Amino acid sequence: MDSQRYFNQLLYRMEEVFYHELSDCAAWKTELVGTDFIQAQNIKGANAHEVIEACIESIKAAGLAEDIEYSISGRDILLKLTIRGCGLMHKEVLLRKGGIKPYNCPITNMILDQLIEKLGYCTTYVADLEVPEGTGTQPCQVKAAIYATPEKIGAVSDWSKP
Amino acid sequence: MDELLDIINSRKSIRRYKTDPVPDAMVDKILEAARWAPTGENYQPWRFVVVRDQETRNRIGDLAKLGSGSRMTAWYCMGHMQERFAGIKDEAKRAEVLRFMYSGEVSEFAKQAPVVIAVIGTLREGSVDVPYDLSAAIENMLLEAHSLGLGGCWVHGPVASTRDARKFKEILGIPTGMGDYKVIAYVSIGWAAEMRKYPRPKKALDELVYWEKFGRKERPPHG
Repeated sequence: MDSQRYFNQLLYRMEEVFYHELSDCAAWKTELVGTDFIQAQNIKGANAHEVIEACIESIKAAGLAEDIEYSISGRDILLKLTIRGCGLMHKEVLLRKGGIKPYNCPITNMILDQLIEKLGYCTTYVADLEVPEGTGTQPCQVKAAIYATPEKIGAVSDWSKP
Repeated sequence: MDELLDIINSRKSIRRYKTDPVPDAMVDKILEAARWAPTGENYQPWRFVVVRDQETRNRIGDLAKLGSGSRMTAWYCMGHMQERFAGIKDEAKRAEVLRFMYSGEVSEFAKQAPVVIAVIGTLREGSVDVPYDLSAAIENMLLEAHSLGLGGCWVHGPVASTRDARKFKEILGIPTGMGDYKVIAYVSIGWAAEMRKYPRPKKALDELVYWEKFGRKERPPHG
């Protein structure tokens, strides 16, 4: 067994029991998972686009994911991520098989962390983590709320529209 | 026992408070009720930080507003909040309720409550059931407050995320190490300035109870 598969199995068991203990609240507790890596990468950027692109470059260079696309819309609070070839996909597949909707995406956590750390965003929230059914060959789709200032709280729009 | 059940089933979460102060003797009784909660192996991991200072309560209220607002704004944008409050038929009233929620104002009430009690658990002295012990203490606090004629609310959302829990600890000077203290919630206490609908809708027992085995709805004869 390769070590990546082994570590995915460890994470799967940890997340399984964590979800069992905390139900949906588990997602809110795991927001720092992955941030140690990105905080060691000296990410720089003067705005959200520059920071996110620098994060994506570091994540891809380290081989943690093959490709990441993003967009910012919804009155500047909706960050959409499409993540392909993630090294943690096996963990997500195992969770799905166990009847648990995946809830913790370290790559998303990394990007949100740097918006907070480097640009002073007041808070962020992972709103939806859509991991495809099956063996994990399809990309994950993430919707996260990013709030640059407290005034952005309440900036509602319809996220179902493209 | 009927009297206790009356207290239990007439308790409501109160989020609007009068400015009248809460006497120390009443706060002490609420804390005393917490102290007598059940606790695994009698560890008694609970600790309480009683806050009356307005500036501190303002900071807690702002943190709570940000936490709830950040989640509820996203939930509204995804349509979840509209589904949850579809039962409010008056369109203008529904819109105002939704705005109150997604703005985070729904959780700002620590600013108005005369007393806020942070409920934390030590992880330093050996314990096995910290969140459960603390939850039992909170329930005792709420019931005692209600029995004294006070209103209270169990507030978990603002400390639900790891970052917010850390900010909450920093506001109150609680050690922030993950192996030090767990912050589970705070309880706001004060004289109610709202009358909540009574009774709140609750599921019937036959929806909740099985007999002898999971799934068995019929109560078997005994004795």
